[in-house]
Amino acid sequence: MVMTDLLAVLVPALPLAGAVLLSALRRKFSATVAGSIATALIAISFVATVILFSGFDTAAGGRTVRVLDWLSITGMDIPLALRIDALSLTMMLIVTGVGALIHLYSIGYMHDDERAPTFFAQLNLFSFAMLMLVMGSNFLVTFIGWEGVGLCSYLLIGFWYTKPDYNYAARKAFVMNRIGDVGMVLAMALLFHFLGTLEYTAVMENAHSIPAWGLLAITLLLFFGATGKSAQIPLFTWLPDAMAGPTPVSALIHAATMVTAGVFLVVRSSVLFDLVPYTRDVILWTGTATALLAATIGLFQNDIKKVLAYSTVSQLGYMFAALGMGAYSAAMFHVTTHAFFKALLFLAAGSVIHALGGEQDIRKMGGLKGSIKITFVTFFIGTIAISGLPLMSGFFSKDLILAHAFQHSPVAFGLLVFGAVLTTFYMFRLLFLVFYGTYRGKAHAHESPLTMTVPLMVLAVLSVVGGALNLPHLFGGHEPMKHFLESAAAAIRSEEIELSASTEWILMGITAVLVFTTIAFAYGRFVKRTTLEGDEADMPLLKRLIAQRWRVDELYAALFEKPYGWLSEHFHSIGELRIMVPLQNGVGEAALRVGNVVRKLQTGNASFHLLAMVAGIIIFLVITLLSN
Amino acid sequence: MIAALLLLIPFLAATLLVVLRPTKHARSVALISSLATLAVVLMAWATYAGSPVVLADRDWVPAWGLRFVMGYDGVGLLMLILTAVVFPFIIGTGYGEKLQHPSLVNALLLYTQTFLLGVFMAQNALLFYIFYELTLIPVFFLLLYWGGERRRAITIRFFIYTLLGGLSLLFGIIYCMAQGPTMNGDFSALAALNLPIGVQHWLFWVLFLAFAIKLPIFPFHSWQPDTYTMAPMQGTMVLAAVMLKMGLYGVIKLVFPIVPDGVAFWRETVIALSLIGAVYGGIIAFRQWDLKRLIAYSSLSHVGLICAGLFAWNSYGITGSLYQAFAHSILVLCTLYLCSALKERVGSSEMGAMGGLKVRTPRLAALFLLVLLNAVALPLTQSFIGEWLMFLGLWQVHSWLAVVAVSTIVWGTIYMLYAYQRVMLGPDKWQLEMPDASNRDHLFLVPLIAITLILGVYPAPILDLVDPSVQLLLSSLP
Repeated sequence: MVMTDLLAVLVPALPLAGAVLLSALRRKFSATVAGSIATALIAISFVATVILFSGFDTAAGGRTVRVLDWLSITGMDIPLALRIDALSLTMMLIVTGVGALIHLYSIGYMHDDERAPTFFAQLNLFSFAMLMLVMGSNFLVTFIGWEGVGLCSYLLIGFWYTKPDYNYAARKAFVMNRIGDVGMVLAMALLFHFLGTLEYTAVMENAHSIPAWGLLAITLLLFFGATGKSAQIPLFTWLPDAMAGPTPVSALIHAATMVTAGVFLVVRSSVLFDLVPYTRDVILWTGTATALLAATIGLFQNDIKKVLAYSTVSQLGYMFAALGMGAYSAAMFHVTTHAFFKALLFLAAGSVIHALGGEQDIRKMGGLKGSIKITFVTFFIGTIAISGLPLMSGFFSKDLILAHAFQHSPVAFGLLVFGAVLTTFYMFRLLFLVFYGTYRGKAHAHESPLTMTVPLMVLAVLSVVGGALNLPHLFGGHEPMKHFLESAAAAIRSEEIELSASTEWILMGITAVLVFTTIAFAYGRFVKRTTLEGDEADMPLLKRLIAQRWRVDELYAALFEKPYGWLSEHFHSIGELRIMVPLQNGVGEAALRVGNVVRKLQTGNASFHLLAMVAGIIIFLVITLLSN
Repeated sequence: MIAALLLLIPFLAATLLVVLRPTKHARSVALISSLATLAVVLMAWATYAGSPVVLADRDWVPAWGLRFVMGYDGVGLLMLILTAVVFPFIIGTGYGEKLQHPSLVNALLLYTQTFLLGVFMAQNALLFYIFYELTLIPVFFLLLYWGGERRRAITIRFFIYTLLGGLSLLFGIIYCMAQGPTMNGDFSALAALNLPIGVQHWLFWVLFLAFAIKLPIFPFHSWQPDTYTMAPMQGTMVLAAVMLKMGLYGVIKLVFPIVPDGVAFWRETVIALSLIGAVYGGIIAFRQWDLKRLIAYSSLSHVGLICAGLFAWNSYGITGSLYQAFAHSILVLCTLYLCSALKERVGSSEMGAMGGLKVRTPRLAALFLLVLLNAVALPLTQSFIGEWLMFLGLWQVHSWLAVVAVSTIVWGTIYMLYAYQRVMLGPDKWQLEMPDASNRDHLFLVPLIAITLILGVYPAPILDLVDPSVQLLLSSLP
């Protein structure tokens, strides 16, 4: 028992130690040494997690490790404590496993950057924060990680800090996250108000004693917090801009781990959400709307990373749609497979960018499948996995969500299938424009080093076989992941697909036919002849609107950013200078005559005044002493 | 013994400086004195057992029944610790500021410290008042002789304004003491006054006005931005890091016990005003280009929240408020010091003259970033503990108040990130040769940042100190 506790503490402690060590000695280490240390530490965390996982007994439910008293005063006891159960273990495996691969990849990717040690320190710090987020045994410890990943995201998006655009993107990400955090903080305050505790186990046990309005408020506020971190409507616009960060960051933070924190939070609190069907509906439709909105934007983007970014937003929408239907384990399954194939796609995209000396515009790529073979094959696997080609990991996880949608709401089902078609289209457009046809750029493409290609290959394998983690009955499996997660979140037990086998086969058939048709269409459009998007100004109205991302950024700028600046200036120029200062002068006007008298007393000699003061004090002390 | 030491060490050191004028070693003398004071306070903390301590209790002006009572409880001790911790750093800042007549500057600082320590030990209202007003005198001269542009007009405005508040307080105290022949003005006696409700309603403002101006809360704050901007760096530090805490302390020691019904009647008004200030100051700070003025408005915002938490008037609110008071002192020292360090390098505290400095001064940028974490109250920093407790306290008063209070985490983030970006990030557009963070910069900032992190991870030392006193205070209220 003591051994497992130690291991549990070790998992987040190692990357934290790495972050401290690397930032303290960042001038002493070369990029390779710093990268190796960071990678080794997170790899050891992964090993520790595997040991914890293999020794974990689902029958026992879970275990809380109290590390330190944190906030304890009369009426409050919130410790720094970690929770080891099926849910946290699942997330820990993803964070440390995929994280270790991305650390390894970064050794090659960041090789020539002179601030590479700082980069690895921040990457390790991120891993620590993300582990705190998923391992916290109460909401407030999760919140440590929640804010920590936001900070690291800020630092890493703005890693190349001399570029004003990047700084803007970083700041935007942090501020939007903070807006979501307001919801999270308020939800925690409400929970504490009702229950006097923030421990997950205690909260879930006593959830039914919270009044209905309280539950409604808590769940809506938690979800609002989740929209910030997981880039859902209305707080999604920061994620595409976050692509300013180095590509491994996009893979780790803005695809595989941090952005799934919102999904994790809802699953962690699934007992609360099960009690409020209204909130679940809000989540379902927000998720569906985000999935579609982002997928449409993905259709016409020309930056390889932007396409993937909108794809991430869209896939997160699928996860939230699943949560809204109460399909918590389906959402977690998609979190897992998405971590595999989206990390793969980002890293492969990074390899392309690396090969082309920093080029990100797909209009200047093409025909790369011959020159960077490993990158091509792995990117290809990622593409078919996310598109949900039969037997790929994305096929199983997405079809599970679609099956839930079919029995829950036909409208949502239709929209999500449409979204899947869009996904296939923009992904194959990307694949074809980058790797097929003829090269349209000037750089000389070269394959990346092994440190970069090995993670690609591992992730490619996982993207193919990842479906086995939760193989459905239809394919002879027994949904192991679902049963594993049941021990952590009771709500998952009632999550069943009640469709007949034939219905399920038909559903799968329909989506498969649609996917293949879409691929054929994309092939005709982008391989047989190469269709490139021209100038936005020449596009028809609707297409232009989509290509301009539905002008949401412009809308927010007009609605919030500009008025805020206006408010700030006018509070000062009118509120302060026209009202407050004159008001105070009015009050002071009467006293001014007194002030004039005071002024005459001043000789302008500092020492005279000091002397007067000292004399006064001495008189005061003398009186005190004499009066005894 | 402790009382005598705490009053005599800084007082004698200051007087020594005035008399001998050792220009060269003035700062060192002051630094040693402040470190000695710190040692005494830490000793007091180490021996503090959780119940109020009486340091001195003797007749003072027998004819009026006045007694000279000094002592402290957990809250008072927290304020003593805060004062003692802060002053070595304020004096240390002087090594970079290079003001004229350093012996006089340091003497004034030490006199201020003497009186501040007196304020936080006084257990008699009149004694409290005397120390409270005495602190104004050295600060007045500091501002008047070492201030920046328009120092005369601004200093006198500041002086008159705070003095008006002080007079109101004096009137309130005399009124209370006139309530009975046995009324000697001791805090313990005042707490047992039981004034009629009608009196409490107006007396509340008579007593509170001084503290509302001192803190300051909206709309009594208009002296503050100009004064903070104009004052010499060390003066601003004294004002923001310690003097305004007298306002909080005064509320706890004089307002809460004497006019509890008045507090019950007015507290939502005060919370509302404080929160308006918190939001208003936070929003204004966003478009301020002078770093010092930005800090002034950010301080208005922070202090608004602290005052709101205090007037939540429950265990979480008051504890959080006191915790945050400490955090704010450390924070404001850090930000002002950074401002001073930048001014030393760039020649101005205008952010328009900065930008891209990280290229030249990566270490200073890293320190700035660590300070920023505390400023935006990220978890595992000191500020988070205080803010979280205050949010809970305010929630118990009214949910909408908590919503407004929590919104400050967004406003705070916006102006701090902008400030960091405007100063540090972007291309190296000025191409100025400047040194990176020096040993002195590290010596100043690293310990303070360490305090914010340690007390963010392990807040027990302060919470355990304050909690029993707060419980005692609340249990004595009706």
